[in-house]
Amino acid sequence: MKAKLAFFDFTGCEGCQLEVLNFETELVELLNHVDIVNFREAKTESEDNYEIAFVEGSITRESEIPKLKKIRQQAKIVVALGACACLGGVNCLKNFRPMKENLRIVYGDAAKYYDTIPARPISSIVPVDYYVHGCPIDKKEFLKVTKALLLGKRPEIPNYPVCVECKLAGNVCTFDKGETCLGPVTRAGCNAICISNGRHCWGCRGPVDDPNTNSEKEILQKHGLTVEDILNQFRIFNGYLEVSK
Amino acid sequence: MENKIIEKQNMAPFVDNLINAEAEVIGPKRKDGKYAFDKLIETGELCLDYDTTLLPPKMYLFPPKETLIKFELGKEPEVEPVVEAKPLILFGVHPYDIKAIELLDVAFSTTNPDINYLSKREKAVIIGVDCLNPNPNAFCPSLGTATAETGFDLMLTDIGDSYVVAIGSSKGEQLLTKYAETREASQVELAQRNSERQKALARYKVTLNISPEELPQLLDKSWDSPWWKEKSEKCLSCGSCIVVCPTCFCFDVQDDVTLNLKEGERYRQWDGCMLVDFAAVAGGGNFRGDKESRFRHRMYRKGKYIWERYGKLGCVGCGRCASACLAEIASPAETFNRLKEESK
Ligand code: SF4
Ligand code: SF4
Ligand code: SF4
Ligand code: SF4
Ligand code: SF4
Repeated sequence: MKAKLAFFDFTGCEGCQLEVLNFETELVELLNHVDIVNFREAKTESEDNYEIAFVEGSITRESEIPKLKKIRQQAKIVVALGACACLGGVNCLKNFRPMKENLRIVYGDAAKYYDTIPARPISSIVPVDYYVHGCPIDKKEFLKVTKALLLGKRPEIPNYPVCVECKLAGNVCTFDKGETCLGPVTRAGCNAICISNGRHCWGCRGPVDDPNTNSEKEILQKHGLTVEDILNQFRIFNGYLEVSK
Repeated sequence: MENKIIEKQNMAPFVDNLINAEAEVIGPKRKDGKYAFDKLIETGELCLDYDTTLLPPKMYLFPPKETLIKFELGKEPEVEPVVEAKPLILFGVHPYDIKAIELLDVAFSTTNPDINYLSKREKAVIIGVDCLNPNPNAFCPSLGTATAETGFDLMLTDIGDSYVVAIGSSKGEQLLTKYAETREASQVELAQRNSERQKALARYKVTLNISPEELPQLLDKSWDSPWWKEKSEKCLSCGSCIVVCPTCFCFDVQDDVTLNLKEGERYRQWDGCMLVDFAAVAGGGNFRGDKESRFRHRMYRKGKYIWERYGKLGCVGCGRCASACLAEIASPAETFNRLKEESK
């Protein structure tokens, strides 16, 4: 029997789903083993019969909460897809402003028709079984996780910082070029793609299990960042986490 | 050991001949203000006066990720070992990296000979070059790794207008005969080589205040030192120090099976004791679950365990770890000197 997969998206740019749909050959191979039921929103009727739910986007509205809970009830396995779902992601930037003000900025006079709550990762509402990190996700990693789930294994996701992959890629450290980087506290798995392309790490994959944020902050300060700069760095993707408060 | 001279203007033709004729030639090239070993396309890219490279040349003998076997599942599973080795010339290897490769030679051939490493090693020619511009974190003279007498096929020393070439093997000699224009080295030129090496010694900035033979004993006494906790507080467990190290040889083995469950491969990739999950065992335990014990373990590897097990130093003093560590805690020299102070 083929396993049934479903995709849901809450607040995000849908970049992650695009990424999934972006690898034709592997997708065809995957379709031999699964049925993809690609809902845009959770159905309310109970006929939904998916086993694995991939959830994209963060939770930013009251109305999204019951929908997410419904998905959790139905799915045997819930996988958070992308930085928004895993961490809250860039949406959490708004958490540092009063919600009323956010509404006014985005919707102006129409603000009264919308509800908004501080953005949060889906794990703050329901238990999450697995995470596919990144903004957007890496399709190879998506396949790896899906494969492991279908084989009934635990996906091997690194619990070491981006620096490992960055060094393996033979990059010159951005700190040696007079810039800064969140690689030392961010979970690897992206092959340090940003640094290999001449930029630095913004932490889109979220922190490792036990990040040494104090040491990282000290290093950033030593390299010329102010406390405010540092918080802004952390907040880009990890605003929901304690580390950035 | 026999010594020849290659005039500087004859060096480029020699390297070009090697690139065109023999094998893949790997040498130090410039990279964003630093140096990295890479495949040479033309002689002009080769920088023989480099200080050190980002990653050690061991990566060509023990790649960061390497397939070990391929298998097919089914009623009668088929297993096929994968051993990839092709002729390789490592050009411009510094003495400390040569010493590190000598350690790997022993480590990978003791008890369970490692066929993947040894096959690559057998096909590799090592052309060394004396390090005359040491990296500021290096402390090779304290460990006897500033120069090498063995472990190379050829060893070059820049004496100004020419290179002295020491011949370390018949393979090296053949390459010279076939591809380079050389002449005999005079006594004066050999004396010049000595003086260049002497001058280089004075350029090292870090010194170990203890002889390497005493390190195991010193470490024996230092297990409970407050230093481990104090210093490791800043450790990011980022693994930079072990990834850049020429003497680290730990790896992790994993299987990758295709979705149809028909075939798969087993591969290994570099791993190391500074990473949080390195000593994690099935069932959720971890031998070295805290920064302090990981930090201490690495220093014990470098100064004691490797020495006791293989009779060679676990650190060659290249200083790459210290340069790579953002927390500024990774230098074995700093730790050993401090423990020596404490033990007085
Ligand atoms: S994680 Fe990034 S790419 Fe994915 S939905 Fe959120 S914003 Fe878009
Ligand atoms: S560039 Fe960033 S990820 Fe790479 S080694 Fe430096 S700090 Fe680590
Ligand atoms: S380098 Fe950092 S910001 Fe870039 S993809 Fe990796 S984790 Fe995300
Ligand atoms: S000692 Fe330095 S380089 Fe090594 S893991 Fe710790 S912080 Fe990273
Ligand atoms: S421990 Fe550091 S100094 Fe010693 S060989 Fe390794 S990288 Fe070089």
